[in-house]
Parts: sequence; structure tokens; C-alpha cells
Amino acid sequence: MATISNAFTTISGALEANQSALNIIANNVANANTVGYTRENATFQENDPLTINGVSYGQGASQSGPTSVRDRVLSERLDQQQQLASASGTRSASLDTVQALFTPDSGSSTSGAGDIGSDITSFFNSFSKLEGTPTDNSLRQNVLSTASTLAGDISNAASSLNAQRANLDQEASGITSQVNSLTASIAQLNQQIMSTSPNGDAGTLEDQRQTDLSQLSQLVGINQITTEKNGISITTTSGAELVSGSTSYQMTSGSVSGVTHFYVGTEDVTSGLASGGGELGGYLTARDVDIPNVMNSLDQLAYSVSTQVNTLNNAGTDLNGNSGTVVVAGTSTDTNSHDIFAQPVANQVAGSALNMSVVMTDPDMVATAAFGAGTGDNSNAVAIANLQSSAIVADPTTGTKETPSNFYSSFVSALGSTITEAKTENTAQTASVTQLQTQSDSLSGVSLDDEASAMTTMERSYQAATQVFTMLNTLMASTINLGQSTTVT
Amino acid sequence: MRVDPFYVSNLSGSLDKTQQSLQNLTAELSSGVSVNSLSDNPVSAGQNVVLLNQIQQDDSFTQSSNLVTGQLNVADSVLGSVVTQLTQAISLATSANNGTMNTNNVQSVGNQISGILSEVQTLANSNYQGQYIFAGTQTSTIPFTTSNSNPPQTTYAGDQGVNYLSAPNGQKIQLNVPGSQVFMGPGTKSVFGALNALVADYSSGTVNTTQAATDTAALNTALNYVSQQRVTIDNSITQVTAAADAVTNVGTQLTSAQNNLMQADFSQVSTHLSLSETQQTALEDVIAQLGAATNSLFSKLPG
Repeated sequence: MATISNAFTTISGALEANQSALNIIANNVANANTVGYTRENATFQENDPLTINGVSYGQGASQSGPTSVRDRVLSERLDQQQQLASASGTRSASLDTVQALFTPDSGSSTSGAGDIGSDITSFFNSFSKLEGTPTDNSLRQNVLSTASTLAGDISNAASSLNAQRANLDQEASGITSQVNSLTASIAQLNQQIMSTSPNGDAGTLEDQRQTDLSQLSQLVGINQITTEKNGISITTTSGAELVSGSTSYQMTSGSVSGVTHFYVGTEDVTSGLASGGGELGGYLTARDVDIPNVMNSLDQLAYSVSTQVNTLNNAGTDLNGNSGTVVVAGTSTDTNSHDIFAQPVANQVAGSALNMSVVMTDPDMVATAAFGAGTGDNSNAVAIANLQSSAIVADPTTGTKETPSNFYSSFVSALGSTITEAKTENTAQTASVTQLQTQSDSLSGVSLDDEASAMTTMERSYQAATQVFTMLNTLMASTINLGQSTTVT
Repeated sequence: MRVDPFYVSNLSGSLDKTQQSLQNLTAELSSGVSVNSLSDNPVSAGQNVVLLNQIQQDDSFTQSSNLVTGQLNVADSVLGSVVTQLTQAISLATSANNGTMNTNNVQSVGNQISGILSEVQTLANSNYQGQYIFAGTQTSTIPFTTSNSNPPQTTYAGDQGVNYLSAPNGQKIQLNVPGSQVFMGPGTKSVFGALNALVADYSSGTVNTTQAATDTAALNTALNYVSQQRVTIDNSITQVTAAADAVTNVGTQLTSAQNNLMQADFSQVSTHLSLSETQQTALEDVIAQLGAATNSLFSKLPG
């Protein structure tokens, strides 16, 4: 009898175990499309044997609970790559808007509109045209109109750059609140995980924490460190602590000379974040490095062209026989000024592009003649036209001087290369993210085919157990009746 | 080995890429331009700036050369007329100097030469579009005026300034000859000096043969000198025309280089477009096939 009732216990345990395994499969199928869900496996365990009359009998199996199939190293690797990919993606998207300001002039009659390269040439050509007929009023008027186009296009580009920079600044500061809510959530999950499963996989809680970590990795560059009791500490890539155990530290932002800076505690982490990765890294690189570089070049171009042209135009003689003097902005006004462009403050290159404008209104004041020469002289027009082929614009980084057109040419090449580089980088990183994601999904994703097959297996086991149960039941009845079939059915 | 269960949805990522490529290729075909943004080809975009700069400079020189040629032609034809007038004055003076003329005839020659003097002065004061062409750089002031004294005196209000036109290849082409150089050359080379002297010689009706012969010879020298100055103008016209032709030739080459740099290669783009379309169709078929519900094991399980 003892062995039969033992067999009953064993087989009802098997029914339970199979049911719970089917439950796990049902959960997997239900979460097949849940973002961040890690598939779970049923774990069958052999029960301890029972000894009856010196003979040891197996006690069947029990299901000791679902185990999530995850690889933490792979997940962390994926997060790291995600940080790089979203940084380069955000940066190249930002740079795409920048390059829209410098669309190449294809050479057709309409494509030149707004092209600074063509504007430079047209402006200096307006002086070349004056070489033949220096007193021609329409050609003099042309000098002022091409100057206005050049100054207008440069200052428009500069103000658009400023606007884009302000947009990036705003986007970047908007990320802070998302980061804070994610770190708070991670800290809370840390606490739950540390208390409920300090030594093993926390299943759903870990899925949630991993989802938060992936989201955080999209936003900002982080380091993850696994701590005791299954907790995770998070710092920014530059080392500022965001989450430690069940505590999260707020990232705050504040304006420093019109630009948003980021703080953890009192520490300014802006520059660390810029090189750290994530969308925030991309925004900050574009805001603090790429756009200022473009702006520096435009400033240098505007400063050099304005000052050089003004100096020469003041040194010559205009159509009325007058000469001028260069007026330095901020000093006393000289009514005799023959500035064509608003004169930048001496040696202050920054802001020159934005402030570039034409101040001359009377075309007669264009000084085509050399100082003291007759008004029909063209040598000053020649001198100004020659600026076009003179190295007058200094490269902001190397200091090497180039002609205005060559400078602009180098500038567009450099900008184009930066964008191409960011895009290529992004393509490679995105491919790597996809690859890691595929690896991770092949390990942890729910495959419906797998589940169908597992379900069939469990169903069959359950059926088999029920058959055994039925058979045991009949056997037990026979035993109780001791051959009398009427006592128990 | 376990595979990524989401491989079908990953294929849609590839579909996005082929669609992006189709879009780019279509944009290239419709605009005819291969470099639509700096990042498409940074090096070409940079070279393009330099090439366009040269092309536009050349265009500008061609326009200037047309204006300048007009001005130089006027100067040349003025000097042609001056030569004609001076030749006539010399022949008049020669006939007056041979001693066979009576007083009236000599005075008449004097009057005719005086007429020539004022005609030459009018020619020397010629303007082009309101600017005096023989005034050096003082083009807004009338350059030559003659006093009513005896002998009459011609003064020059212009200067010695010379304008040059710079060709894109750096060549400098002289655009004017100062009036003083043409009409008031040094020593015996002065047109006005010689004409004024002759007018004085014949004004009384009596000819000092020696003096008149010297003055006539001086006018002859001055005439030759004017012809020499005219050569300068003629040379400039030739130079401007040659430079403009050269610039046009260079411009054609530059434009072709610029086209090669920036314009789309239609046959290549069309081929790529066709390949991308095929790829897209294939991808769509694969997704439809693999994504079908009948591919799931669940669909095979008994109801």
C-alpha cells in the first residue's frame, strides 16, 4: 500500500509540475511582443527519494520556478554600443540641419542664391568690373548690392546657426527630466531586487531594470557596476554617480552665459557628458564643438573681408575726390568714414559674421581711385579686386592665411567631411547595435515555435501523468476490494 | 543554435534602407545634380567653390572686356581722326612755306590751321560715357583749353595717370594714354605746341620761312608721335580681345570640369535605381512570405 500511495503522490506532483510549466509557456507566449521581456524556462528538479523498508523510491519531480534566460554581459555591451550609436546619430542629424545652410551651388543660374562662395566672388568681381569704367554709376551700385548680398547671406547663416544652437540647447536640457525619472526608477527596482532576490535572477524586476537601462543608454553615456545583492550602481562615463543601490542622484541643469550646463550634485559634468555618448552627448558635441567651429570660420571670413575691404576703401579716393579714415566701432564717429561694411571691433573676430552688414548707402563713396589720384583712376578698384586672390583670411585653428574663396572652399570641405565622418560612424555603430540586438534576441527573445513545441511536450507529459493516475486508481480499487469488485469502484 | 525570433521584423529595417536609397537616387535624377549636400562629397563640394570662383571671375572679365573694348575703339578712332587732321595741317603748312602765296592766302592757311587746332582740341577732349578719355585719371575735368593770346597757348588740366585692366591670368592691359603724352609730348613732339606755333607763324600774312619750316617739321614729328601712341591703344585692343578669347576657352574647360564634378551620371544613377527597385521588391516578397501566419508552428497544432 505504501508504495502505491507513494506512486500517487509522485504522479500528482508530476501533474502539478507540468501545469506550472504550461503556465510559464503561457506567460512567454503572452509576452512574446513585450519590449524588454526575457523568455523564461521551467526548471524541473528531481525530488529527494523515499526509503521504505530499506528500499529507496524516487519521489518524482517538481518545478522549482521560472528562470529568465539572460546574459548580463551581452546586455551591458548592447547598452554601451547603444550609447555610442545614439550619440553619433543625434550629432549627424544636428549637423544635417547645419549643412542645409551651405548647400553647394551646382552652377546653374538659380542654384547660386544664398551661396556664400558665389557671393564672395560676385562681390570682388563687382570691383573687377569697375576697373574698366571706374566712374560708371550702375557698376558702383553693383558693388553695394553684391556687398549687401554677401553680408546678408553671412549674417543669415550666422543667425540660423545661433538658432540651431539654441534648439540643441533646449533639446539637451529636456533630457535631464527623462534621465532623472529613469534613474529614480532604477534605484527603486534596485531596492526591490536586493530585498526579494539578493542571490538569484529577479525575473520581471530585472527585465524592467534592463529596459530602464536601455532607455537611459539612449539618452546619456553611463557605466554600470554590479554591486552586492544583485544591485547595480550607475555613473556617467566621466564618473559622476547617478544611482547607488536604492539611492538616485538628480541631474540638474542651469544656464551659464546663455548656455545650459549640467550638474550632478554641485559638480559641473557638461564636458564629460558631451564626450560620454547618448543623445545628450550628441546634442552637446554639436552644440559645443561642431556649431562653434562653423561659426568661428564664418566669423573669421566676415572679419577679414570687412576689415580689409574697409581699410582699402578708406585709403582710396571716391567719385567726389574724397578719402576716408577707418572708424573703429565704439570710438568717436568719423563723418568722413568710407566703410563699406560695418567695421568690426578691432581684433574681436567673434560675432563678426552675425553683425556683418553694409553701412555705405552712396555708391559715389566707393573709392576706385588711389589716394590723391583723379576720380577716373582705377588702381584702388584693382587693389580691392585683388583681395580676392590675396591670402587675407586666417584659418581659425592653424592661423594659415588663405584667399577668401579658398578659405570658404576648405571650410565647406571640412564641414562636409565632419558630417560624412559622423554618418559613417553612426552607420557602423548602428550595425553593431543591430548585431548585438540580434544576439541578445536569439538568446532571450520569445520564439513562438519554441513555445509551441514546448507546449506540446508538456501537454504530452501531462497526458501521460493522467494516464498513470487513472491506472493507479484502478490498481488501488482492486487492492482495497481484494478481488470483490463491488465494494469500491 | 537558437536564432533571433524577430528576424522578419528586422528585415523591415533593410526595407527602410532600400527606400532611402531609392529616394536619394530619384532626387539625383530629377535635379541632375550628384552633390546635393556637403556630406554627399565633401571634396567635390570644396573644389566646386574654387571652380565656380574661377568661372565667375572669367565671366566678369568677359563683361569688362566688352566695355573696355568699346572705350579703346573710341580712343583709336579719335586718334585716327587726329592723324587725318594733322596730315592736312602739314600739307597746308608745306604749301604756305614754299613762298609762292600772297598775304591773304597765307592768312587763310593760318585760319585753316587754327580751325584744325580747334578740331584737334575737340577730338582731344572726346569723352566716352561722359568721361574724358585723354585726361589721365582726371576724367571728369575737360583736359585741354586754348587761350586767345598770340601765339595761342594750350594747357592740359588732366594728369599722367594710366589705368590697367587685370586679366584673370595676371596680365595687365593698358586702358588709356594720358592726353599730355599724346598731344603735348616732350620738346618738338607736342601737337598743340606745333599747331599753336604755326597759327602764330601765319597770322600776320608774312611767313618767316625758316621758322615756319621748323614748326612744320615739329608738327610732322608730333604726328609721328601721335601715331606711336595710337599703337599703344591698338595693342591694348588686341590684348583685350586675345585675353577675352583665352578666358572664354578656359571658361569652357572649367565649366566642363565643374559639370563633371557636380552633375549626376545618368546612366549610372539609372542602373543603381533599377537595382535598388529589384532589391526592394525582393525584400517585400521575402517579408510577405516569411511573415505569413502559416509559417508558425502553432498553426500546425491540432485545434
